[in-house]
Amino acid sequence: MKKYVAKRVITAIFTLLVILLVLFILMQLMPGSPFNDEKLNADQKAALYAKYGLDQPVFIQFFRYVGNMLRGDFGVSYNISKNTPISQLIATRLPVSIAIGGFAVAIGAVIGLILGLIAAFRHDTILDTICTIISVIGVSVPSYVFALALSYQFGYVWQVFPMLYNSAEALNSSVLPSVSLSMFTMASIARFTRTEMLEVLGSEYMLLAESKGISGASLIFRHALRNALIPIITVLAPLIVDLMTGSLVVEKIFAIPGVGSLLVNAIQSNDYNVVISLSFIYSALYIAIMLVVDILYGIIDPRIRLAKDNG
Amino acid sequence: MKKKILAVALAAAMVVGMAGCGGGSSAPETSTGAEGEATAEVSGSDLNVMLETPVQSLDPQQATDGTSFEVIADYTDGLMQMAEDGAPVEAIAESYEVSEDGLTYTFHLRDAKWSNGTPVTAADFVFAWQRAVDPAVASEYSYMMSDIGQIKNAEAIIAGEKDKSELGVTAVDDKTLKVELNVPVSYFLSLMYFPTFYPVNEEFFNSVGDSFGTSPDTVLSNGAFVMDDYQPAATAFHLTKNADYWDADRVQLAGLNYQVIQDSQQALMNYQTGALDTTLINGDQVDQVEGDEAFRAIGAGYLWYVSPNIAKVKEFDNLNIRMAMTMAINRDAITQDVLKDGSAPTYTAVPMDFATGPDGSDFSADQTKFSDVCAFDADKAVEFWNAGLKELGTDKLEIEMIVDDDDAPKKVAQVLKEQWETTLPGLTVNLKTEPKKQRVKDMEDGNYQLGLTRWGPDYADPMTYLGMWVTDNNNNYGLWTNADYDKIIADCTTGELALDAEKRWTSLYDAEQIVMNEAVIFPLYTQCNAEMISPKVTGIEFHPVALNRVFKNAVKSE
Repeated sequence: MKKYVAKRVITAIFTLLVILLVLFILMQLMPGSPFNDEKLNADQKAALYAKYGLDQPVFIQFFRYVGNMLRGDFGVSYNISKNTPISQLIATRLPVSIAIGGFAVAIGAVIGLILGLIAAFRHDTILDTICTIISVIGVSVPSYVFALALSYQFGYVWQVFPMLYNSAEALNSSVLPSVSLSMFTMASIARFTRTEMLEVLGSEYMLLAESKGISGASLIFRHALRNALIPIITVLAPLIVDLMTGSLVVEKIFAIPGVGSLLVNAIQSNDYNVVISLSFIYSALYIAIMLVVDILYGIIDPRIRLAKDNG
Repeated sequence: MKKKILAVALAAAMVVGMAGCGGGSSAPETSTGAEGEATAEVSGSDLNVMLETPVQSLDPQQATDGTSFEVIADYTDGLMQMAEDGAPVEAIAESYEVSEDGLTYTFHLRDAKWSNGTPVTAADFVFAWQRAVDPAVASEYSYMMSDIGQIKNAEAIIAGEKDKSELGVTAVDDKTLKVELNVPVSYFLSLMYFPTFYPVNEEFFNSVGDSFGTSPDTVLSNGAFVMDDYQPAATAFHLTKNADYWDADRVQLAGLNYQVIQDSQQALMNYQTGALDTTLINGDQVDQVEGDEAFRAIGAGYLWYVSPNIAKVKEFDNLNIRMAMTMAINRDAITQDVLKDGSAPTYTAVPMDFATGPDGSDFSADQTKFSDVCAFDADKAVEFWNAGLKELGTDKLEIEMIVDDDDAPKKVAQVLKEQWETTLPGLTVNLKTEPKKQRVKDMEDGNYQLGLTRWGPDYADPMTYLGMWVTDNNNNYGLWTNADYDKIIADCTTGELALDAEKRWTSLYDAEQIVMNEAVIFPLYTQCNAEMISPKVTGIEFHPVALNRVFKNAVKSE
């Protein structure tokens, strides 16, 4: 198991470096500069490029950046928050994004699981149909549409939740963004759980368990759900990533001071360091989630761990 | 003294109005709260204000965007401040003199304090202005000091040829600041309310180091409000009234509560529930609020225009073709049917309502001045078109226009295409949408045929627009060149006309006439912003130049 984890971690670090290099090269291809292109003349632009070292060849910039990054220095913002160290921006904003994202995953996973279980156990009834309809809507409607709809109904018409994020009442004002973000996760999990459960419920070992007299909660949770969970955990990882992309738009709508809204603004204004740092963090999170899922997978199903250890 | 009167007259001449924007209520955009009278009635509540984008910088010498300028000006006063009509009025400067030749300004500072208790001195201005031209600081707005402000040695310092200590600004004593210019600058006083010229206390700046302007503890206030809740790129922040402000009696608001909202539906809903006192809305929402007394169309100063690539596209080297295209545009249809935000059709190369002449009239008040060369006239357009095609020896033209990948420009471009193709036989216009940065780059590289673009004024003088069309200017994307034009602009900027306000003004009209006769650009409209302002609030001052909103005199009744 240790060897397996070590190997995965090394691959992850290498992947991150490659991503960073690709990001650097992509940034060079972006049109314009981080500065006010229309108002500046060539000399002024040259002075700004020199100040920030942007006049250097891309590989020198790259190695310098990686070197600084290892020391925890992500550079400064050129544009959206001029000269602010990006580590400072991340330190204040990443926790907000993670809190809202985590909340969304929790809501999505729990409700999705419940809906999926209901649909499976009440297979081919009206409850099943309702759950299916909810899932289809959840998968097909983008999160920003939910965001605007929820904000209109719960924030504007009923005024039960704040329409915008407010750090003074963080929990309350996280409800609408988290719910809008969780819809896709919830719907996907519900569909997946339903399918998996139906399969497990129809399997022979379940029939055996039932015939042995195991019933009720023990049957559902120990025998059916645990087996159905394995594939569900694998889809959870890509779902969390979807949720991260969804946060870009949802954060903007709810004025959430997170990293998603920061990244969108940075991309629009060519704020190289911010784009690179945040994309890097997103990639790192993605890879970390994949890693955690792989490890979890091994814990839930020892066959996988053993197979990988031997192989 | 005579010079001081002239200076005041010139200053008054720079007043800024906004009458050109149509739509909404006919009431004036601003009404001053309690001008001059001491009112004991302090409303005691915060004004809730919407922002479209977060603040980019609270460093006055580094900031470049309207949002940052507005917020910096909430808590900082410069030598002058912006009156309701845009004229410069004394702020930290209690009085000033201008020398006979217009080259030396002497400002006498009042007793004002920074929020840490230290007095505001002439040295604070010297320190700040030197920062603005310091190549190590690399301020994007250094050209306000050099090209526009014409402060002695600014250009050489920016280029790294002289030391920043040689900048033409000196602290004669704690309360006297002397500024030397290369040439007389008729609008110089109106630059003093531009944040690049705001003071920074050196001792405080050095004590906070790189963290300057990143939190309430790392900014100092000498203005109407004090920052008390802020972090970089914040989506919400707060300022509270500055009790020690030299003009504190005038300030009636308890504070300013800023909220960044980047979604227009959210913005309007927040206004409607009372969470915001003022917000920007978009053209599509105007229909929803029709008849609401809170709706106002506020001049934003931007002139939108189409630039033909005259040097590189042979079809646009042909004057008849250019004339045909500008005459075939129905500007009213664009503003009324497409934009609907109150934007005003524009038939001049300088937009309306931001530059006022020595006689007190708006430079571009008369929109029919060039009606023989710029108006909607389909018959004349076709005449020009056929003449042009004949000269080119063809009966068909296919042209590409590059457009920003944003909502309003895309809609406008679509209508332009329809108008041109309907009116001008044999014309096909292809639209190419690009991210704004790409579009600007393509135009700078001359890699375009037609480009839809805009320009916002940097200072309250027609030169901020007319200066663009001289040979080799960065923004003269179409590379048009005309020696007569270049001479007029040079005379008005640094030459013999720089001191004679009236002659200069008429010469600027001559210059504009050349631009219009030659159809160097096809002006479209002057942008207005559709705003909702709660009827409970009066006295918010809106300006198309420098400070977009000023809240110092705003009053909110309960």
